[in-house]
Amino acid sequence: MRFVSFRPATSVLATAAMLLIATAPSRAQTRAETLRYVTGASVNTLDPNIPGSTRESFALSMSTYDRLVAFGRKQLNGKWVFDLDTITGELAESYEVSPDGLKLTFRLRKDAKFQDGSPVTAEDVKWSLDRCVTAPILGKAQLLTGSLTSADQFKVIDPLTIEVTLPKPDKLALPNLATVYPMIINSKVAKEHATADDPWATAWLKEHTAGSGAYVVESFKPGEQIIVKRNEDWNRGSANKPAFFKRVIVQSVPEPATRANLVERGDADLVLDLQASDVQSLEAKGKLKVVSTPQYNAITFVSMNNQIPPFDNVNVRRAVAYALPYEDMFKAALFGRGTPLFGATWADGKPANGIYPFQQPVKLDLDKAREYLKAAGLPEGFSTTFSFNVGQASTAEPMAALVKESLGKIGIKVDIQKLPDAQMSTQINEKKLPFYTEGIVAWLPSTDYFYRNFYTGNQRWNYSSINNPDLAAIAQEARFEPDKAKYEEAGRKLNAMHFDLMPQIMLWQPNQDAVMAPSIEGYTYEFHRQVDYRDVSRK
Amino acid sequence: MTTGLGATMVRAGRRLLSSLPALFGVLVFTFLLMRVLPGDPAVFFASGPNAGKEEIELIRKQMGLDKSVPEQLVFYLSDIGHGNLGRSMMTGQPVLKDLRERLPASLELTFTALLIALIAAVPLGVIAALRPGSVVDHGVRLFCALGVCVPTFVSGLLLIYVFYYLLGLAPDPTGRIDVFTSLPPQRTGFLSIDFLLAGDFEGWWAACKQLILPAVSMALFVIAPLARITRASMLVSLGSDFVRTARSVGLSWRKVVVTYALRNAILPVITIAGIVFSTMLGANVLVEKVFSWPGVASYALDALLSSDYAPVQGFVLLMASLFVLVNLVVDICYGIADPRVSIE
Repeated sequence: MRFVSFRPATSVLATAAMLLIATAPSRAQTRAETLRYVTGASVNTLDPNIPGSTRESFALSMSTYDRLVAFGRKQLNGKWVFDLDTITGELAESYEVSPDGLKLTFRLRKDAKFQDGSPVTAEDVKWSLDRCVTAPILGKAQLLTGSLTSADQFKVIDPLTIEVTLPKPDKLALPNLATVYPMIINSKVAKEHATADDPWATAWLKEHTAGSGAYVVESFKPGEQIIVKRNEDWNRGSANKPAFFKRVIVQSVPEPATRANLVERGDADLVLDLQASDVQSLEAKGKLKVVSTPQYNAITFVSMNNQIPPFDNVNVRRAVAYALPYEDMFKAALFGRGTPLFGATWADGKPANGIYPFQQPVKLDLDKAREYLKAAGLPEGFSTTFSFNVGQASTAEPMAALVKESLGKIGIKVDIQKLPDAQMSTQINEKKLPFYTEGIVAWLPSTDYFYRNFYTGNQRWNYSSINNPDLAAIAQEARFEPDKAKYEEAGRKLNAMHFDLMPQIMLWQPNQDAVMAPSIEGYTYEFHRQVDYRDVSRK
Repeated sequence: MTTGLGATMVRAGRRLLSSLPALFGVLVFTFLLMRVLPGDPAVFFASGPNAGKEEIELIRKQMGLDKSVPEQLVFYLSDIGHGNLGRSMMTGQPVLKDLRERLPASLELTFTALLIALIAAVPLGVIAALRPGSVVDHGVRLFCALGVCVPTFVSGLLLIYVFYYLLGLAPDPTGRIDVFTSLPPQRTGFLSIDFLLAGDFEGWWAACKQLILPAVSMALFVIAPLARITRASMLVSLGSDFVRTARSVGLSWRKVVVTYALRNAILPVITIAGIVFSTMLGANVLVEKVFSWPGVASYALDALLSSDYAPVQGFVLLMASLFVLVNLVVDICYGIADPRVSIE
């Protein structure tokens, strides 16, 4: 009896021991196959189209949904960045642009399946694109920039072919289809959850996904973390293989110093948005991989409201442009981590090319600044406020102090005003701030796009409130200019006008610093300024 | 005894009722304050690269901001009456759900911190009071001064640096539980209790390890007021007639100090502990940020920065209700500590 009872006990022990041995390496394996990515903000919706969605939500949707097409990537100074000019098929096997540029025809992949196993059809594509241009969601304003405005423009030819017609040959129509919003949704599933009030299932899609993307949402805690697991059937990647990581944990860690500690200790694999000082010290230690990419679709400005005196006087604006201590600001705010947009030398006094943003030939020259002030009729200077938002305090605060000090030397008295983020955006929208610093980002950075969106109209993004009909007309015309040389010429003209009118001062393009474990490979700077989980792998 | 308890309950109920007008006032005041603050949430949330006037209007409509303020207030009050605190733009979730998930995290942290603080502060205060002016007294004073001088986020970052970064003893400071540990079934929302109920001791230990550093950095900050008040009140108590009498009749040191002096000195400590608790719950935002603790305070701060009305209003209402509750508990504790006190 005793003998019998003894044996199961030993076998249990033996099994337990074996299990321990067996699970130990497999746990380590799991960690290697898991990407832990820590971010400052958090995913707040599973549908990036919902107003108020964060950058983290954009990045998530790139992996949970597919689009018809995707941007390729290219090397810029040895770093991988997204390439606006190479557009490859994602759900589309191939696409064709008609010679007059008015028709885009997409042939869908035959093997593409949604995460529930049903095939992706042209009907789904049509429903999703219709939703993007009709429903009251963010996609509407985005697709407008590519002349995609109405559901009539999308036509199902056969179950695997969809045709998009354009009113004008718009260069940005195709790139727009690769952005975050026009994701392809499983229309059968979504329609089941649509209601009379909400025919496009926006409420349901906010908390559920119905896509064909590389990752499936496993658990979602808004404000804390989201865990996704690999969709094994997904083959839209480079070599017809699923994405590399089996699991991705995206975790919100608000304190940048803690994020730096996590990645340095090896507990996190990848982190963006660290403080410039932390990045510098991590880079100096040399244990981690630091990839710094100039955000070539973003700009930081010092903006002046061209409608509010004294900034309505071009000479005042020029005076300010020559009184900023650019080099010191660049070092104090960013530790020099970025691309400067000041200090150019224009040999013949003309812009070097037609690309915006560009380096302006401005530098700290107090004598010149005083002359301009005198020309403006304000030799004694004036008083003004310089505003920035709390969210950018770490870079804007040292910058503001330097602006105040330097402008004081030419008699401009500056009061520094630090505003909560919502208050700042409200005042910018209402055009009440005379003098402030802000940044912009464009997903589809082309010269005419920048000038049309950031230098025309009485709207929020026209920070300088410039109202110059000539500039607006040239930018508008350039939009549909098929001839590259003429487009370049228009760009040069616009850039020359920018320097002449000095509506606002371009400072720099900050770097996106991605700090990662040495084993992480394939990081690419994406247009949405977050990590695309599908890009990265582990050695 | 039963009548005493019953009377206490009745008094407690009466007090709760009498606090309702105050809560209502807080509700209306916060509501109006949020609307008066310069900062339009619609503009803030419509900050996508292409958001224009149309998007701003859309969000305004979604948030009900297209109506007049009195109308908004009526809708808001009727929503509250139905137990609906509105929806957060920031997390995209109903505020009630957010608060329900986050409050236990904040409470667990605050309770632990308060417990650590009391365990450290009361003996420190008593020792200092027994030898006023001695080296021990000065030592306690120095320790308290240091604790108050160092802001919680500095002590938090220092603790992280030493125990996580340098020594590797503490787990990574990312929230309540290691991402790789599976959660216990939710019963109380207090992870340390839920793990025990589920019988998962490994998980319990993991949750406790996450809790220690943030709780200690919060406790360090509140040890000072608690220890100082204990010392002051002990000094009064030790110098009073009944202690002299107790000493003169030759009672043991322990009996004199603990039973007579401390029991009489503890009332102000309870009051302060109650106040400290309420303050900690709302003011531990820095600790929550540094340790990525998913609590209510950091939630409210984020909401305030982005002018997200519903969460801020919900948070203030929650805090006001908790404050009422804590005061009530403190009053009841009075009665237990000193039966002569009755709450009216």
